[in-house]
Amino acid sequence: MTHSSVMRVPGLVRGAWATLLGIAVSAALTVAIRAAYGYDPLFDGEAITIVSLVTAPLFFLVGIGAFSEWFYWAGGKPTRPEDHSSHGAHSWKDYFKVNTDHKVIGIQYVVTSFFFMLVGGLLAMMVRAELAAPGSQFVDSNAYNGLFSVHASLMIFLFIIPVFAGLANYVLPLMIGAPDMAFPRLNALSFWMLPVAGTMMTLSFFAPGGSFATGWTAYAPLSTEVPLGQMFFTVGVQFAGASSIATALNFLVTIITMRAPGMSFWRMPLLVWANFSTSLLVVIATPFIAASQFFVLLDYGLGFNFFVPEDSGDVLMYQHVFWFYSHPAVYIMMLPGFGIVSEILAVKARKPVFGYRMMAFSLLAIVLLGFTVWAHHMFVSGMQSWIRVPMMVTTAIIAVPTGIKIFSWLATLWRGVLNVDTPMLWALGFLTMFTLGGISGVMLAMIPLTIHVSDTYFIVAHIHYVLFGGSLFTIFAGVYYWFPKMTGRMFDQTLGKVHFWLTFVAFNATFAPMHLIGVQGMPRRVADYPEQFATWNLVISLASFVLGLSTLIFVYNMVASWRGGPRAGSNPWRALTLEWQVSSPPPIFNFDAVPTVVGGPYEYGVPGAVHGVFKPAGHPAEAEPAPQEGRARQPAGAVAAGSTDREQ
Amino acid sequence: MASAAAVEHHHGPPPANRSSRVEPQLLGMLLFIISEIMVFGAFFTAYFFIRVVNGAEWPAQGTELPKLIAGVNTAILLSSSVTVHWALESAKKGNRFGLQAGITTTLLLGATFLFIQVNEYVHIGFAPQDHAQGSIFYGLTGLHGAHVFIGLTLLAFTTLRAFRGHFTPEEHRGVEVPGIYWHFVDVMWVIVYTTIYII
Ligand SMILES: [Cu+2]
Repeated sequence: MTHSSVMRVPGLVRGAWATLLGIAVSAALTVAIRAAYGYDPLFDGEAITIVSLVTAPLFFLVGIGAFSEWFYWAGGKPTRPEDHSSHGAHSWKDYFKVNTDHKVIGIQYVVTSFFFMLVGGLLAMMVRAELAAPGSQFVDSNAYNGLFSVHASLMIFLFIIPVFAGLANYVLPLMIGAPDMAFPRLNALSFWMLPVAGTMMTLSFFAPGGSFATGWTAYAPLSTEVPLGQMFFTVGVQFAGASSIATALNFLVTIITMRAPGMSFWRMPLLVWANFSTSLLVVIATPFIAASQFFVLLDYGLGFNFFVPEDSGDVLMYQHVFWFYSHPAVYIMMLPGFGIVSEILAVKARKPVFGYRMMAFSLLAIVLLGFTVWAHHMFVSGMQSWIRVPMMVTTAIIAVPTGIKIFSWLATLWRGVLNVDTPMLWALGFLTMFTLGGISGVMLAMIPLTIHVSDTYFIVAHIHYVLFGGSLFTIFAGVYYWFPKMTGRMFDQTLGKVHFWLTFVAFNATFAPMHLIGVQGMPRRVADYPEQFATWNLVISLASFVLGLSTLIFVYNMVASWRGGPRAGSNPWRALTLEWQVSSPPPIFNFDAVPTVVGGPYEYGVPGAVHGVFKPAGHPAEAEPAPQEGRARQPAGAVAAGSTDREQ
Repeated sequence: MASAAAVEHHHGPPPANRSSRVEPQLLGMLLFIISEIMVFGAFFTAYFFIRVVNGAEWPAQGTELPKLIAGVNTAILLSSSVTVHWALESAKKGNRFGLQAGITTTLLLGATFLFIQVNEYVHIGFAPQDHAQGSIFYGLTGLHGAHVFIGLTLLAFTTLRAFRGHFTPEEHRGVEVPGIYWHFVDVMWVIVYTTIYII
């Protein structure tokens, strides 16, 4: 391939060249502006880096072709509707290109986020190696701060949030009987912003002064006064956040406008409900973290005074804005998991989900209440102390809808004939571990306890019970559950169970003792600790290494099964939801004809229950009884308008 | 491979069922605007904390905000909302001259607004680095200015297409959707103007 033809073909090669071009342009721009203002020195590496962090990714996205169609429109050329010419992946190389197929994007999302999960996990291993004994083992305290900061940021922004978006990207359009997402090109752009954000955060280790080291919370004014690595977080979060908002918008439009005939809101699977709720949270809350990082960027890069008290700035404002996003974010990281578990428990217990409507309502209740509790993260921040009491009350109240969900899941299991295979094990593991994390959460809502355990390992224990025992367990459950659908292959159940039990035991051995040493006062986010905590920390570190190794079983199982696992049928779990009614993997456009939904999604054990019916492809008029034909032929909008549920 | 079979009969997807009367593009723009409102909300939170909670003097001691010029600028921006509406109505009626004139006028009015805004920055006499009030002033008006710029970019594409003969009474989403965004930018300016300059 000649040089000029490389630049004409969108792809990673052109993306790499474009990135370099972007850096060059940023450098030129920065020097030009500094010259215009008469700054000295003209060539300032720090300024150039910050400008490049913002600009180069945009060049990259243009380079890989994420904007090609939009440029086409902008140029005033005749637009063609999405022709789906780039649908499907025909070889592994297609996964490294811009693709508009939601199934390809879903897999791109899941694999990319698991890649960053492994990077983040490796950093966690290094944290535990450092903490295995008191004193300094192999990193100094600043490098240590960098390790846990990048660990948390990658796990939150590059793993848990996007991996849920990836799973939903794959199965949600199938579940509602849609051929794709509402905006396939936007969907592709959303995905490609992720590797940008992840690479940026990971590269921060090479910045002068080391990686960002202010935790994933990046409190100002600390974050406005540290070395350059901080900016890799500040700007990286913007790309991850933009990706998440674009996906959420896409999910909402898809769910509202593209459901199959007969699929009213009250016939949607709970995974769809969960992503509907999550997307509402993302659209409303994520702009706040974007703004908080804009403030930091402006203070850091241009010398603004948002967080400079001497110039009337307000440092607590950062925490309010940040937590107004980041508390809802814990539900962004949990609600999709609730959806996954609801699917799996019903299928594996062969029973309808108990209290289906209550399950949906409690999701919406969590969305609303999630916005009323943010300052429970600030009980010891020095804010006005009267705010603490209402925040304590609302935080306790938010446990109610969560509790409703847990009891509904238990009632779903009640007297069911449980098929305890790998996905079910993870779902049950989630149920137990998340309940424990929820209980320590209610404890933390209480002001006196928070004051006592603030910034100790109790907090570390709580967040890992919620995000690891909660979110990650549902992620494993979901990946195992839909693996046959995505790949057309069955994974190794024995290895899956070994993976579960090893993780379950090692997880508890790692994080349960942290409650104890936390209550005794071991501070978090510090590289060293007193002699009295030495034994427990050694135990925790050893357990955490087992936990890390158990992940390798998962990776091996997935890779080996994808390449050579036995063929999975179209519906190995005998599930009713629509994604299981098509082949594995599904046909390139999901359905030859859009199915018609005639009943609820979880009527397991109900004789003769049907969720969706397919007309024979190509002969829609023949095989179907008249009433349903009439229903399917109604003009656009009539189906939803006729049902009972419109936009609740 | 399953995909190989799919290549052979490369037909399009089955048309998706439309389960809502709302247009997907309109709904998408609406949700985007909601998230934009939240970005402004966060900036207003900063304003609230610095001016109300901390009780900082507003505007900062020894500075003055050009209420009158900004007021004229407000009128300019608001009138551009009228012209973009005119462009859309013309497109719906198939009146090409009205569409082209309306959209061009909108573009010019928007550009004038930005020009006056930049001019105001040059002459206002304080910088964002001087004090938090300055940071808030430049932050909010700058954020809004960036949105004007995005809106202008969208409208520039619409103008280009309008002169190339696109848009019909049946198909005018390319005017309607950027138009909605433009109305949002205008309404948001009224709020910014009121809180920053007037109150
Ligand atoms: Cu919280």
